[in-house]
Amino acid sequence: MTDRPTAPELVEAVREFLEREILPTLDDQRLRFRTLVALNALGIAERELTSSEEGPSLEELDELARTIRAGEAPESVLPELRRLVAAKLRVASPRYLEKYR
Amino acid sequence: MTQPPWADQLEERLGLELESMRLLPGGASKEAWAVDAGGERLLVRRAAGGVIHEDTLPLEDEFRVLEVALEAGVKVPRPVAYLGQLGGREAFAMERVEGETIGRRIVRGPPPGLDLELSDELAKIHAIPAERAPFLRASDVLARFERELDSVGEPHPAIEYGLVWLRERRPEPLAPVVSHGDFRLGNVVVTERGLESLLDWEFAHLSDPREDLAWPLVRAWRFGADELRLGGIAPAERYVERYCELTGREISLDELLWWEVLGNAKWAVGALTQSRRHLNGLERSVELAVLGRLAAEMEYELLDLVAKAA
Repeated sequence: MTDRPTAPELVEAVREFLEREILPTLDDQRLRFRTLVALNALGIAERELTSSEEGPSLEELDELARTIRAGEAPESVLPELRRLVAAKLRVASPRYLEKYR
Repeated sequence: MTQPPWADQLEERLGLELESMRLLPGGASKEAWAVDAGGERLLVRRAAGGVIHEDTLPLEDEFRVLEVALEAGVKVPRPVAYLGQLGGREAFAMERVEGETIGRRIVRGPPPGLDLELSDELAKIHAIPAERAPFLRASDVLARFERELDSVGEPHPAIEYGLVWLRERRPEPLAPVVSHGDFRLGNVVVTERGLESLLDWEFAHLSDPREDLAWPLVRAWRFGADELRLGGIAPAERYVERYCELTGREISLDELLWWEVLGNAKWAVGALTQSRRHLNGLERSVELAVLGRLAAEMEYELLDLVAKAA
């Protein structure tokens, strides 16, 4: 237990600061772009910190990767992989997933 | 103006009076300097301190590729001079071409016919006789991706699946041609007149022509205009037809699917290895860092293409 703001609340505060107070002051295109990338990175961290989804363990993923490379994966692995990657994208890039709806 | 200690050397090798020079942002393995000298607007590419990608050409060879491409009538920045070592690092000078290179801006209003101009340029590149650039190499890309994926040190079952799928369906190869290696929006200079120049020849190599042909179809290079398969600027049909007319090759859009899956696997692995450049301290950059998470986009696209193919 920590005092508030919690980790996600701190990340959110920094993200809002960059978005509202820094970004509007930037004229340099390259710096604007990098700041947008930084905002995106903070968004990923925020979503990860507040997500209740529990993904597979490193050992499970390792095993799955090895099985596939060895050519021993069952047919049903494709939908399973899509679910796994979709779960990663809900954290990393939720808007990207909307392209497939 | 603060000049690097090798500015005098540069002036001497160019044989032009130096007016100004400025380091452009980005790039730890290559520096790019905007140099004005003797009334010419130049770009000087110089090796940087960072570790160089295993698959990129040395600057001397990249310069040579520009010369060969120019001779073949390809739209490239005019190579001006190979400069040898400047301050202990290899460099060359080329013409500085003005225009838009940012994909996201180009897809908002591409000049009409840009798709056909891409076919024209690619046909010219693929017609370059390989003996003009004897240092270009072919490689087994699937083996290379697997090696690079191993170097990432993190399990990626979706990419593994893609690599197995690709191996099991590997098409009969076409005779290898001189390939650009990174032929896509982002490496093209565009103005309202159309395609001005093709940049970034450091990945040039010998390969099946379909590798270059399909690379700009990869969703990541559509820059948000996803419904237009060719780089977010046009449907791909006309682009492929024109390429076939010009080269006499018979390549269908359907057969490019395998190469599009390959492209997604390539960029998924590429994004992961780029993020490692940040993580291992070679090039600290938030842009590179975040690519480690965005590789999942290419993984998803790869799986979607494979599922559709079934």
